[in-house]
Amino acid sequence: MEEKEQLLEQMRKAVIEFEEERVKELANKWVELGYDANEAIFEGLAAGMEVVGELFAKNEYFVPEVLMCADALYAGLDILRPHIKAEDKTETKGVVVIGTVEGDVHDIGKNLVKLMFEVAGFEVHDLGKDVPLEKFVEEQLRTDADLVCLSAMMTTTMPGMKKVIEMIRERNPNVKIMIGGAPVSEKTVEMYGADATGKDAASALEEAIKMVSSLREMKRKKEI
Amino acid sequence: MTPKERVMNTLEKGRVDRVPAFSGMGNVTVAGMRKHGIDFASSHTDAELMAKLACSTYELFGFECAVVPFDLCVEAEALGCGVNFYAGKSSILYPTIRSKVLSVGEELSIPEGLLERGRIPLVQEAISRCGERLNGEVAVGSYVLGPFTLAGQLIDLNDLLKSSFKKPEQVKALLEQLVEPLAEIASAYAESGADYITVREMGAPSDVISPRMFKTLVQPYLKELISRIKAPTILHMCGDTNMLVEMLHECGASAISVEQKNDVAATRQKLGEEAVILGNLDAYGVIVKGSPADVEHSVKQAIDAGVDGVMPGCDIWPEVPEENMHALMRAVAKYGAR
Ligand code: B12
Repeated sequence: MEEKEQLLEQMRKAVIEFEEERVKELANKWVELGYDANEAIFEGLAAGMEVVGELFAKNEYFVPEVLMCADALYAGLDILRPHIKAEDKTETKGVVVIGTVEGDVHDIGKNLVKLMFEVAGFEVHDLGKDVPLEKFVEEQLRTDADLVCLSAMMTTTMPGMKKVIEMIRERNPNVKIMIGGAPVSEKTVEMYGADATGKDAASALEEAIKMVSSLREMKRKKEI
Repeated sequence: MTPKERVMNTLEKGRVDRVPAFSGMGNVTVAGMRKHGIDFASSHTDAELMAKLACSTYELFGFECAVVPFDLCVEAEALGCGVNFYAGKSSILYPTIRSKVLSVGEELSIPEGLLERGRIPLVQEAISRCGERLNGEVAVGSYVLGPFTLAGQLIDLNDLLKSSFKKPEQVKALLEQLVEPLAEIASAYAESGADYITVREMGAPSDVISPRMFKTLVQPYLKELISRIKAPTILHMCGDTNMLVEMLHECGASAISVEQKNDVAATRQKLGEEAVILGNLDAYGVIVKGSPADVEHSVKQAIDAGVDGVMPGCDIWPEVPEENMHALMRAVAKYGAR
């Protein structure tokens, strides 16, 4: 018991200090000892990443640091994922399509949001930046995503989000749509007919979890 | 005093009758596009259209400069990157890099005859046409990217940011290599008649990298670049610069330019009276989205806080309402007397 707790603590620390090799070592050890992979992912890796998010918000960490912590986390995930027990596999938190809209190359913020979703256990399909608007619709249909996240950092590319929202709603009214980026406000959400926004990656995740669980609740009720 | 004298004296800390309103970055407006029947996408690849559009903001509103080009892809294009101009799109989209040409650790080969490549000759041509059109009464500006921001155009940004930590020596080698071509391009612009050159290092504010990393990785190459440009220079940075202003000032440009996230009064206090500080209007939130009264208020605030020149925090956003441009110029006349 104690060894397990210790390993988790070390894993969190290694993620925070972006020690990729150390994370791999610890993850391998965890697997060898036959512990539950899911526990290491959430109590070790993701918990470490949560601290990283706080350090970022406090201006102690900046984007490069966060990206390196993410690499350390992914290295651990690669080792642990194949060992997740079958019963834990069935339900991801949700499926998300994310991207920065056409004409816009600003993707630093979008990448942070994506990272938070992955850490929380969503299945994320990242379309990248400067994404042609129709591509969001196609990818949503292809992956049957619960949530589409659009990022725009410029006012000229922002209206592209409105078009995407209209196109998606036409095909699939149940999808939840989040929009974000510096120029996006609550007012934009209303004007464009989106479902929510978030001022940073952490609040984006919080909103997403709320929306996706209500969506799934709804689907479940329908099935019954 | 002509607008040009006002701007140049400001950059050289000389005497002015009032604070100028100008920019080191693009200032295209939809009104200007309409006036000349120019669509944005074609203006990037035609010197005459580029010059006409750049001058129109002075001609229509009295905004005291003409600046070309309008996008951030010129240098990267000359170094081999593909560019998307979004030709045929009805909305106003800024050109972007289509394909990266380098990864960290790879040797960059600077092509022969750099100044003949891509759109560099076209920008030079546009600069001299602006000069002709404005008869020497209005300052003509141009810009280059800072080495770090240019590196971000050539290399996948995530790769660059992580390598800045993991392999700083390799990143430094690349930045060092980028100084020379940037200095060459800037000097060519000055020779074509650009009165001042802005160095845009918008990829390195503290929204993105730490002040520590700015100091070791970004500042040395900015300093070197600026020292090699033989024209008055403005060092511009978007985003959060509050922790960086001393370091920006040390880079040795004639002036520094900051956006709305900067607390200008505090910056003035840190840098003293001698520093030339330009800024810090919110290019979108106020100039586009605000009312004329908001614009007036922001101009007054910037002047009260201590700017030497009223400048938008980034490219003027083309969709700016005409009445806001007029309000901007009126407010500078009203509050800017010296
Ligand atoms: C870095 C930067 C660049 C880099 C981008 C590198 C990259 N690959 O991303 C470079 C140098 C390439 C660049 C280029 C340009 N830029 Co720029 N850039 C910036 C800058 C300084 C910082 C942006 C940033 O990364 N912030 C850090 C991240 C962590 O924050 P964030 O993006 O806001 O993301 C957070 C939230 O918004 C939110 N979020 C983000 N996405 C989403 C999505 C969802 C669904 C949710 C819920 C939340 C969410 O969570 C994120 C994490 O906390 C801003 C300045 C500013 N004040 O923001 C200008 C800025 C965005 N740029 C601007 C401009 C004008 C340009 C150019 C057009 C300039 C030009 N003349 O060509 C070009 C764009 C070309 C194009 N067609 O895209 C303007 C836009 C103005 C406007 N009116 O819209 C800004 C605001 C500068 C300014 N002061 O005016 N830029």
